[in-house]
Amino acid sequence: MSLAIAALRRLLAMGATLLVTSFLVFSSLYVAPGDPVSFLVRGRSPSPAELAAIRRQFGFDQPFFVRYWHWLEGVLHGDFGRSYLFHQSVGEVISSRLPASLLLVGVSTLLIAVVGIGAGALGALRRGTRTDKGVLLLVTVGAAVPSFAAAIVLRSVFGVRLGWFPTVGNGSGVLDQLQHVALPAVALSVTFMALVTRVTRTAMLDELGREHVEVALSRGTPRWSVLRRHVFRNALGPIVTVSGLLVSGMLVSTAIVETAFGMSGIGSLLVKCVDQLDFQVVQALVLLVVAVFVVVNTLVDLLYPLIDPRVAAGGGAR
Amino acid sequence: MSTSTSTRPLRRFLLALSALCALALTACSGTADPGGSHGSAGTGAAYKLTAKTPASAGELDSFTWSLFAEPTSIDYAYAFDYPPNTVLANVCESLLRWNPDLTTSPGLASRYANPTPTTWVYTIRSGVHFHDGTTLTADDVVASLRRNLDPKVASYWSYPYRNVKSVDKTGPMQVTVTLSTPDSTFNKYMAASPGTVESAATLKKDGKDYGNPAKGVNCTGPFAFSSWKAGQSLILNRFDGYWAKTLRAKSKQVKFVFLPDATARVNAFETGEVDGGWMVPANSYKKLGSSSAGKLYYGQNTTVADEVVNNLKGPLGKADVRRALLMAIDRKGIIKAGVAGAGEVADSLVTRNNWNASPKSTVDGLLRELPAYPYDPAKAKQLAAKAGVSGQKVVIATSPLDSQTTIITQAVAQAATAIGLKPEIDTISPDKYTALFTDPAARKGIDLFLTFWYTSITDPLDMYGSLQTGAFSNYGKWSNPQFDAALSKAIGTSDPAAHAAAAAKAQQIAMDELPWLPLYTEPVNVFLGKRITGVQPSIDYLYYPWAAEIGAQR
Repeated sequence: MSLAIAALRRLLAMGATLLVTSFLVFSSLYVAPGDPVSFLVRGRSPSPAELAAIRRQFGFDQPFFVRYWHWLEGVLHGDFGRSYLFHQSVGEVISSRLPASLLLVGVSTLLIAVVGIGAGALGALRRGTRTDKGVLLLVTVGAAVPSFAAAIVLRSVFGVRLGWFPTVGNGSGVLDQLQHVALPAVALSVTFMALVTRVTRTAMLDELGREHVEVALSRGTPRWSVLRRHVFRNALGPIVTVSGLLVSGMLVSTAIVETAFGMSGIGSLLVKCVDQLDFQVVQALVLLVVAVFVVVNTLVDLLYPLIDPRVAAGGGAR
Repeated sequence: MSTSTSTRPLRRFLLALSALCALALTACSGTADPGGSHGSAGTGAAYKLTAKTPASAGELDSFTWSLFAEPTSIDYAYAFDYPPNTVLANVCESLLRWNPDLTTSPGLASRYANPTPTTWVYTIRSGVHFHDGTTLTADDVVASLRRNLDPKVASYWSYPYRNVKSVDKTGPMQVTVTLSTPDSTFNKYMAASPGTVESAATLKKDGKDYGNPAKGVNCTGPFAFSSWKAGQSLILNRFDGYWAKTLRAKSKQVKFVFLPDATARVNAFETGEVDGGWMVPANSYKKLGSSSAGKLYYGQNTTVADEVVNNLKGPLGKADVRRALLMAIDRKGIIKAGVAGAGEVADSLVTRNNWNASPKSTVDGLLRELPAYPYDPAKAKQLAAKAGVSGQKVVIATSPLDSQTTIITQAVAQAATAIGLKPEIDTISPDKYTALFTDPAARKGIDLFLTFWYTSITDPLDMYGSLQTGAFSNYGKWSNPQFDAALSKAIGTSDPAAHAAAAAKAQQIAMDELPWLPLYTEPVNVFLGKRITGVQPSIDYLYYPWAAEIGAQR
């Protein structure tokens, strides 16, 4: 039962985190420079009466807590308000751009999992060889390349010079979209790949060095089965933990990559709306990113005991 | 305000966001003699204006056109920038029509009259259908025009309506606009976005969602809105029930794609992925001008590149310092390096064709009268020295929009240094740059910023109106009673000669005081791939159904 209670506690903590976040996000708009009203009256010299009318229309004249409560109420009903910039409900604005970002994050996640775990395992199993040294070198380089730099290099080499990939836009149709997302996904995942490779390699070396693994191997248990039952399974814990952080980190990094490749997703949307003071959209996006982060980490916490039975619910490792 | 501001194609790697509405894309040579050749003195690069590209040989199934940014809405009330206007010009129509030669003729109003100084009576054209098949009536016109007066709509075009008292249906097919005070520009604006007519039923049905990607619009133009995929494309289909037979669309479809990155756009022209686009980046004039993929044409424009003096409390508060700064800017050098010679040094804040209503001799006369600021760094330095601003800081805002913007900013910074000021370049993202034009908070601490300011009507007041005391676009809060008086007189006077004389007086004061520093004018440019032809290159593409004239080259 303790497992259920722990799970419940985690879920409550998640709810509290989201609530606090929503408050912080909402109140941060009050310290942000710029006045959304000035955006709304673009191109006009409004009279004070007109300005007051606009403030009333958008509820800017109400006290802070009343506005926050209205907004929160809307959010709980799935209504994030309307975008000033796009003259559309925030939900529509985001949902029309979400698929592109999800595809980008999805392809990147796949790349990170396959390349990161693969290279990490290879390094661990070939410890000390040239292969391992090569992996370590790539990890060091990869970790040092920020996604915007990767984006510039990839674009100019594979997009502009060689013309293998389109350099801009989202594409339409399955194949075309994959072609469009290829370079951005690589740019997005370089740093994360390096991180996952390093974590995988270290975790597996840890497990390989354990007594029970050495004993099992010396008794002639087939190598592959030892690796599967002991090494991989036990190394999975740290890898999953780091992955939770990655997914949320990637959502933030999409802003840079989407902008560099002229893709229209939630990342480039965030940049645009911050610059244009479209606060309704910014609030929803920040909340969304934080929610993903919190939910993924809660899931990781809840799954951990299932991955690694040595971890008792609520307890530490071993 | 009549003018938009908009960003030009953006050329950058990191910030591939396009700005929304802020600096007008360049273009414009004030000289309006189609077919004539110009070469900026000393640049050697001549360019030729083309009034009409070769007529098309037949119909097309579809062509693809690039926009440097995605519109945020295609509601005419918020169509105040290149991307939405370039699209809407083919879909929605206004009471009057602005033609490629910058004249105005009847549009959805078959006749219009000005029986008293404060009334305009429009007779609505009969037999016009909206894209949904319903028939145009006076009610649609009233509902459409009134939106510009509605504070709830917060139309970007409320400036032209500032003197409107009421818009009423005065007959089955007649609409009367009553002004509170005579306004010689109001009727001219009826050829641009402020005169747009949409179905009253559609406006009511779509409400706040009108003009967004989900709802689109329902107008009377040669093309009808078909679909808009956020971030990807906006598709228009030919409207077979279009009333003006001569402008029936030659292509069944136009597909607009959003390519914020200038390099990507030029590449797409070269590979034929995209058939054409307005406003190609200046640093590709040479490449596209000799490309086998298509042809680059230049046309009439009403745009002037200006440095807006945003802070009149700093060192630029003294008129002599502004004069000195303008004299120290190597404007010919900017044209040569920035726009490959395709431009002219600006003699005022508007292009010459804005004076088309006046006889040539009159215009020659008033342009001769203007104070000139030839490049003379030595004299500029002396003038600034007397003002005692030596060593003071000026902040010049810029954005990585394109090569041209960068070159201008550097030249202005050089000029500031030459007259003893300490320039500081503040580089901000394109979207933030857009905010300079709408948000006072964003402009804080900035002394100068660049704009490419076009006029939406053939009238210098469209520009000078934004320098009146209290005007929204009077960013530096410049105020001059004589200027205001001359401007009010020009607005209140319809007689062409008296109107021009009052406008010229206002211009004279503005050019003497320099609330903004005029840099150069350049032509509109358009690239047509080898599949297509027929367009008339002119700044009127913002309001005229240019895409309807594009057909197959062979």
